[in-house]
Parts: sequence; C-alpha cells; structure tokens
Amino acid sequence: MNDNKIFQKIIVFTLLIISGNLFAQSDLSINGYIQTDNRIRFDNGQFSWNENRLNLKFEGAPSDKYHFFSEVRLRGFGFPNVNSVSELQTREKNYVYTWGIEFREAYLDLYQFGLDDIDIRIGRQIIVWGTADKINPTNNISPDDLEDIFNFGAQLGANAFKADYYWDDVTLTGVFVPIFTPATLPYGDYAKAFVPEFNIPPGMTIRNVTDKITLPETKLSETSQYAFKIATNLFDYDLSLSYYNGRDDFPLANEIIIIPVDTFGTADVQTGMIYPKIQVVGADFSGSVFNIGFWGEGAMFLADKVYMNTYIQTQMGLNPIEKSVALDDEPYLKYVLGFDYTFSNSWYVNAQFIHGFIHERGKDNLNDYIAIRFEKKFFNDKLKIVPIGGVVTIIDWGDIGNNYGVAGSPEVTYYPTDNIELIFGAFIMMGEGDNMFSRIQDQDEFYIKAKVSF
Amino acid sequence: MKTITSTFALILIFALNAFAQDAQSIITKSDSVINAPKDQHQFSRMILIDKDGDEKVRKSEMYQKGDEMRLVRFLSPADQKGIGFLSLPDDVMYLYLPAFHKIRRIASHVKNENFAGTDFSYDDMSSFKYAEEYNAKLLETKDDVYVLELTPKPDIEKDYSKLIIEVRKNNYYPIKIDHYDKGGNLWKVLERRKIEGKGNYWISMEMEMKDLKKNHSTKMITDKIELDNGLSDKVFSKRNLKKVK
Repeated sequence: MNDNKIFQKIIVFTLLIISGNLFAQSDLSINGYIQTDNRIRFDNGQFSWNENRLNLKFEGAPSDKYHFFSEVRLRGFGFPNVNSVSELQTREKNYVYTWGIEFREAYLDLYQFGLDDIDIRIGRQIIVWGTADKINPTNNISPDDLEDIFNFGAQLGANAFKADYYWDDVTLTGVFVPIFTPATLPYGDYAKAFVPEFNIPPGMTIRNVTDKITLPETKLSETSQYAFKIATNLFDYDLSLSYYNGRDDFPLANEIIIIPVDTFGTADVQTGMIYPKIQVVGADFSGSVFNIGFWGEGAMFLADKVYMNTYIQTQMGLNPIEKSVALDDEPYLKYVLGFDYTFSNSWYVNAQFIHGFIHERGKDNLNDYIAIRFEKKFFNDKLKIVPIGGVVTIIDWGDIGNNYGVAGSPEVTYYPTDNIELIFGAFIMMGEGDNMFSRIQDQDEFYIKAKVSF
Repeated sequence: MKTITSTFALILIFALNAFAQDAQSIITKSDSVINAPKDQHQFSRMILIDKDGDEKVRKSEMYQKGDEMRLVRFLSPADQKGIGFLSLPDDVMYLYLPAFHKIRRIASHVKNENFAGTDFSYDDMSSFKYAEEYNAKLLETKDDVYVLELTPKPDIEKDYSKLIIEVRKNNYYPIKIDHYDKGGNLWKVLERRKIEGKGNYWISMEMEMKDLKKNHSTKMITDKIELDNGLSDKVFSKRNLKKVK
C-alpha cells in the first residue's frame, strides 16, 4: 500500500469519527423512503419508467436557534445501457445499472438571527410560493423539475439565501439566488408535449436537428436572481404580494441555422437557445366562503424582448434570412382560481381554473385549463380512491370539438399499514388539434408504485 | 280548574327553566375545568385500534393556549413526521405538509372529517366550548355524576344531533360523552380516564374515542404535560408551524 492510499484512508477514517461525533451531538435524525415506480404503455406493453429510489433525509435541531436539513436521492433507472462486451466488464457496473444521485436540499436555518423576528435559511433549498395547488404562477425562484411530466409542480433545489422578518401579522421575505439553475424537461418522448407543431418550408427535408443552450454568464448581473414577498391576513383572508427578478427557467430558441446538405432541399438545423430575463409581479389569496376553501393567484410577467434570427449557411458564411420576435416584451398575465370542499359523505373535490400552464409564455400563447380531482378514503383511511382526476384544456372555445385536450389520472392507493403505500393508476390522454395532451395521446400508460417510509 | 292548570303550567315552566339554567351552568363549569390551564404543552401517543385489534401508533406534540389556539405536530410514524396543524380563533386552520414545502390554509369543510386517520374529527380536536355551542338539559343526577343532554344551538352547524355527557359532581370534569348522529343513532363514545390533579387543575391523562359505526377506536395517552408555561401567542403562528423541533 503506498503512502497516498494510507493518507486517504486516514482522512476518511478521521472524517467518519468527526461526523459521527457531530451527529451524536446534534441529535441527527435520519428518515426517508424507498420507492419503486414502474410504468407500462397500453398500446405496445413497453416499459416507459422503471425507477427504484432511496430517498434520505437528514435533519437536526440541536437548539431552538438553529436547524439543518438535507435530502438526497439515490436512483436506479432500471434500463441497462449495454452496447458492447467491454461495457459489461466495467467495475463501476454503470452500464448494467444506470443510476443517478440527486442532491435536492441542504440548508441551515438560523432562527431569531440578530433580531427576535428574523429567521434566515442558507443553502440549497426548494422555495414554494403561491396558494394554488401545483400550478403557481408566482413561484419562480426554485427551478421546475419536469423530468416526470405527470408530477408537475415538482421543483429542484436552488442555492439561495432567504430571510423572513415577522412583524405582527405581516411577514416580509427576501430571497437571493446567486447562480441561475435551469429547469429539467420531460424524460424521453414526453418532451414533445411541450413542443408545438411547426411547419417546414415547402420542398425542404430536415435530416438532423441539433440544439445548443447558452447559459447566462456567471457574473452577478447575468446569473443572479432576487425576490421579495409581503404576506399578511386581512378580513380572515391570507394575502401576499411578490416580486421576482431573474430568468425564465425554460429555454427559448433565439437562433436557427439551416445547413443545406444537398441540392434536393435536405438540410441540417442547428437551434440556439437562451433563458430570457423576466420580472414577475404576483399576488395571491386564500380563505373560505361558507365552508368552501377558495384560493387565487396571479402573476404579471414582464419579459425582455427576444428576437429569433434565422440564418442559412452558404459557402460565404451565414446569411440572415429572417428576423422575427421569439418573445415579445408585452406583459402577460397567468392566473389560477381554485376551490375545495368535502361533502358530508366524505368525498373531497378540488378544482382549479388555470390560465397559462407552467411552460407557456407570451400573451398569445397562454391556454386555459381546468383541473379537477375527486377523492375519498375508505376503511379507516386504508384505501384512497381517485376515480376522477385530471386536466382538460380548451384551445379554442369557439370550436371545442377540434381544439381540446384531456389528461386523466384515476388512481387507487392502498395503505396496508403505517409507512407503506401501494399505488395503482393510469395516465390517459386524448385530444384534437395541437395541444399539450393531444401531442402525447398515443402514450397512455398504467403504473404501479410501492413506497415504504422509515 | 283553569286557574289551577295555568298555575301548574307556570310552575312547570319556571321549574324547567331552573333545570335548564342549572344544566347550562353545569356545562359552563365543566368547560371552565377542561379549559382551566392558561396554556399546555404535551407529548402524547394516539393509538388507533381497528376491529381486528390491530394497532397503529402516532406520536405528537401539542401546544394549546386558552381554548382557541392549538398547534399539533406529528413526531411519528415516519410518513407523517413533521406534519403540523394550527387551529386559531374563528375557524382559521392551517396544515403544514413538509413534502410540499408549504403551509396550506384549510377551510372549515374539513371540520367533520377525521383528523389524521383518528376517530376524532377536526371539530372534536378543536376547542371545548360546549356551553357556547350547545343547549344543555339535565337528564339525571346520579351519585357521582350529572347526566346532561346537549343539543346544538340553532345557529351552530354540527355533525351530531345531540350529546349525552356525564359530568363529575365533585370537580365538574366531563368523563363520558355519547355522540349521536343526525338520525339519532349512537355514533361515537368518548371516555376520559386517569383524571389526575396537576397543580391547580384536573387533567385527563388518557381518553378514548370509539366510532361504533366503523368499529374503530383511538386512544390518546398523555406521556408528558407542562402547564402554565407562559406560552407566547407567537407559538401559534405559521412561523412556528413549519419549524421542526
């Protein structure tokens, strides 16, 4: 054994002892869950998802003054990625077992920091703003995590500094995020849900499409984001006003380069993409009227104007052929209105009207959606049934028959005992015209999930 | 004869009123005994027992101030750890679900739903204000208890058509409450046991709610209780709801 390896072992051993002592002193708790998630397409029996996940949460509150938390996921993706014998021989086994680790959150809370009424949170954190369910136009700080398109509303952690100041019924919040993090997009062929149809010029055949994303420069003025919120309670309603200054976390194409490859009209296409700067002024409320829960949330998006430049490559270089507007600087409003109610027979209903889905932007590109969910628990909460759950979109109210989309997700959850969930369900899409759900209507699937918490 | 009948009726009305006032004062005293501590901080276990005798255990921490401010935080099982519930005056309620990273306002339509799978509804778990919400009638006086019938006041919406409550004569502590559904059938039975003197107060260290329709019961056992610690109103805030202890 050489000196270097001995030195490494000493360091690891020392770190283990130190961290073990720290954990013992800090009253660390470790919780989490193990989950398996399998999805199979109706039409061809193909597996679209096969994930096994170990989710670990580390948490401690050694005193009333501070608290720490971290969440890490170890994920096995199920589908082997083996193309040669040598890949079967790797000691890491990473072609046989494709896997990934996700560092979701790791932060420190300092309570009554400096003043009794100030709490701060430093580190990687998921910040959720807004009173609506899952679709929150005012929620723009932590990037969206759309890897699983059916779990919209999921977010990634952002390295951030957050401070809350409490003054009677008023809470002032300030957030600073030094480095921009983009959203993740749907895995596999679900990505086409977010890509509208586009017309290829007559006579042209596209051979390859490539894209290049340009992230903001890593300097303060380009990559940092900040946000403020003031929240209070008036007339038994919870109200807040917010402001965000940063970037849209979905990429926007601002450049297309057409590269002819023959004289018959065949071409390769290169797309350049950026993350436009935006400001968002938002407001939300929640309360109740006659025992019915009501909430609403709206956000005015003020985007920087982004042009789309189209070039054709010739022997002389790039020739500009078109300049159009990719994103107008005209403000646009996204909003959500919702209610929930529990009937006397314990059926629960939750419904929302949504103007502008997560990925939609620009005044003329916002569609209307109605999300509804009925659920009821049976047998002392051992069984939960969601017979109706899903989203309907109407693209053209004047011609609904040819311009609609539906995504349904009936689901049954069985809780045989504490900490165990068995979930069976399906995703069923249909529609006419060009919309998010009609684009993936041939991808219906059912799923089975099992989860044990510890 | 007519005069005698009228006089008898008048006496009967006075007598009934006297009984009614007496019953109302008993339930008022009972409320004041239950809500006597200025504030409470307790750790407890909720044991859910199904018809086969299988048990599930939930551990929780609860803060209460007066009879209208309460904060409950679940400590176990693992899939419920960190879930918090805050109840404030005027039916203002909040639920904190750590997995969703946010506090959710919940409307009063949930009041008659079971709280966290227990046999207590959100309404059962909220404040004990029987005198304010119910009209009381004395049914019987036994050796050691008063037996009262409580019916909801006209402007109060309840899931129960009536309650039959047994109140101890010696300290006005309510030890048993039969809850009747709107059809007049006995639905739930709450029993309070192990009533101990803690300082100047009487505290029940164990109570059990049985749901006769579901053949299911929830036993709530207080493991540790601190009284009159001078809890600040700030404890009963959204700020505190999302804090982990």
